[in-house]
Amino acid sequence: MKKSILGALVALSIVATPAFADFPQKDIQGVIQWGAGGSTDTVMRSVTPHAEKELGVDIIMTNRTGGVGAIATKYVYAKKADGYTLLMGAENPQMYKTLGLAKIDYSDFTPINILARGVPIFVANNDAPYNNMKEFTDYAKANPGKVKTGSTGKGGLSSIVLAMLDSQIKLDLIKVPYNGDGPALTALQAGTVDIMPAVLGASIEHIKAGRMKVIGLVDNKVNKLLPNTAPITETFPGLSTYLPWGPFFGVFVKKDTDQAIVDKLASAYSKASHNPEFVALMDKRGFSIMGIGGAEAVKFLESYRSVSSWIVHDAGFSKHSPEEFNIPRP
Amino acid sequence: MMEALSFFSTSWMSPQLLGLTALGTFLGVYIGAIPGLSVTMAVSILISFTFSWDVNNALCLMTGIFMGGVYGGSRTAILLNIPGAPSAIATALDGYPMALKGEAGEAIGLSTVMSVIGGFVGIVVLAIAAPVVSDFALLFQPRDYLMLGVLGIMLVGSLSGNNLLKGVFAGSFGVLIGTVGLDPLTAEERFTFGVVELWNGISPIAVMIGLFGVSEALTQLHFMDKTAIKQKIDRIIPRWSDVKKYLPLSLQTSTIGVVVGALPGTGGDIAALMAYDHAKRVTKNPEVPFGEGAKEGLIAPEAANNAAVGGAFIPMLTLGIPGDAVTAVFLGALFIHGLNPGPLMLTENPQMFWFTVGNLTLANIFVLIFGLTGIKLFAKIVECPKGVLLPLILLLSVVGAYAINNSIADVWWMLGFGVIGYFMKQYDYPVGPVILGVILSRLMDESWRRSIILERESVPDFFINLLMSPLSLVLFISIMLIVVSKTTLWKQAKGRIFKSAS
Repeated sequence: MKKSILGALVALSIVATPAFADFPQKDIQGVIQWGAGGSTDTVMRSVTPHAEKELGVDIIMTNRTGGVGAIATKYVYAKKADGYTLLMGAENPQMYKTLGLAKIDYSDFTPINILARGVPIFVANNDAPYNNMKEFTDYAKANPGKVKTGSTGKGGLSSIVLAMLDSQIKLDLIKVPYNGDGPALTALQAGTVDIMPAVLGASIEHIKAGRMKVIGLVDNKVNKLLPNTAPITETFPGLSTYLPWGPFFGVFVKKDTDQAIVDKLASAYSKASHNPEFVALMDKRGFSIMGIGGAEAVKFLESYRSVSSWIVHDAGFSKHSPEEFNIPRP
Repeated sequence: MMEALSFFSTSWMSPQLLGLTALGTFLGVYIGAIPGLSVTMAVSILISFTFSWDVNNALCLMTGIFMGGVYGGSRTAILLNIPGAPSAIATALDGYPMALKGEAGEAIGLSTVMSVIGGFVGIVVLAIAAPVVSDFALLFQPRDYLMLGVLGIMLVGSLSGNNLLKGVFAGSFGVLIGTVGLDPLTAEERFTFGVVELWNGISPIAVMIGLFGVSEALTQLHFMDKTAIKQKIDRIIPRWSDVKKYLPLSLQTSTIGVVVGALPGTGGDIAALMAYDHAKRVTKNPEVPFGEGAKEGLIAPEAANNAAVGGAFIPMLTLGIPGDAVTAVFLGALFIHGLNPGPLMLTENPQMFWFTVGNLTLANIFVLIFGLTGIKLFAKIVECPKGVLLPLILLLSVVGAYAINNSIADVWWMLGFGVIGYFMKQYDYPVGPVILGVILSRLMDESWRRSIILERESVPDFFINLLMSPLSLVLFISIMLIVVSKTTLWKQAKGRIFKSAS
């Protein structure tokens, strides 16, 4: 009895205090969708210390991996919308509905900040007998079922980029699945696979060292890290409806979190994302800094979801039609 | 040369770096000893913690934790039969029986010295042959990983005791458990029954803690009135003659450790198990049978898993490709500290290589110091009354299982496997093959399917390409030799040849 009265009092005091007046009053939890050492992990761990300074509390980060990020996403969604649990994730949840992985995606969260975006490129083994997208597609056409490409599973970056290419030209490729771009890029150097789409940041150091070569840039404008590579839209102008497109990293809170809290967090992460140290790190890695929040972030998320969902649906490996979720065609 | 030497000794000369390496190694030994608290986790927490530090300070602390942590896993494996990490599973097989005979002190002493020797082998190979080894590691194709897995799974024979059939059953059970979760290649759900928590599969660490720790505690309940064995603690530093006698074996298994550690797809856990199998095969007449406290069975995995540390750094430093989960986190840390990890890192920051080598050497020396001190105190743990010891094991198991992924589901799995392990032991089923199956299941599953996809689903092409590649051929022949040498036909033939020769 005593305990329940005490409990009620505690509960009352929590309700009574205007919880968002001086947020944050305690440490914040950050839940990272991907494992330690991966790119999401690295980005989050390099931006968050700058945000901590702004907020004046610690942000304790844990990696909750599994189910292409769905486990972390569902975990944060199951928590209170009080701003004390942040979801630190990559682009994957935007495909959950269409691929049938989960019933929630980022439209059930409020973006705090979309920190940075990656640029997809095509990289190939140094011995491959082609040097640009035109030569590659000609070669693949002439040798059906011979070219091996690394892939990171359905809904992963490589599958979506290949589906984009498939919308322009039909190629017969062997798709070898790997758990992530790290192992796949290793296999590319080993000659196990010949070519693969990968994010620029993951391959740039290997390219600089001459251990693999760039075949194409999946963007609609030239990238300053690869000044000599023509954007893919020059070979396949039809792709310009989809581009620019790329994986991204963002910090989110559950939907219906009080606006004052969202603003506070957004301002901290916005400052952190423009911190010169962080910007320099991202630049070197070939990630484009975005640092956007609010309506701009929502618009970006919507556009990513519509392009990716329809691409995988048209390529025939979606479980549900994007129409079921009212996702508009790009 | 002089330059290399000065980079090598950077961390030896600075009291601050020296202190941080010592602190890291000390923490590592104890983090490694607690099952569920992994080196990977400790190092990734340190990334945030050391964010504003100088990069050298951060690296000293992290290297220390890595070296100490890999060694530390053997502590609880020997004393309580709970391996602190999957790489210490093989250590428990003969280490724990030694502790039961009152030889815990000697076992810890011997494992410390052999870990340090293994560590040095790893460091030497890293220092003199890193580019060669990393190029060699890249030669491994999916079919070669498959054959490594097959070599590993044949260990079921070594782990089964006297009933092979029960061992095979246990191994298959493990392989089945390992297939639960999202299919690594297609992300289809397998045996998940629509439960999201099962997408990531059943944690091998939870299975390990349950099958080893909890089932041991439950079994001990039958012997509550038995007094604990008095531990002999007069001899902790192993005899020189012992070290000399086992040196060839530890050098052999260290080599296995370096190579398996340097492969981007395998790490210390598989290295240690393969080393155990190797020891069992080359030791003709052990003083004590394997599984009952053979020193060879303790030495082999301990040397191998510490040698794998140096091995894991080889592809990381030369190519920017992580050799295991811990070096993957190291790469992230280097990136955050503004170094560009990748194949160019050594050209841009030549000091990094020799600094790391020097640092690992230093950490390895600290492992020797911290490993050999405090053994007397630790050996006493086994002498605790059962009423204190068993709840302690259960508590440690629960904390460890929760710490794997901060998930209560892992605790339930761990307890469930504890109960299964208890009944398996009651009916004389070996538990070792189960965990072996869980560890190797994914490696074999992935590698087989990847290699067959590469051959466009053609089995004949798979074998033709296997016979065409020298590396695959060597691996294939060694598998065949191991299989054939165990058949009765071979033994008869061998007997006849020797007879006619005499």
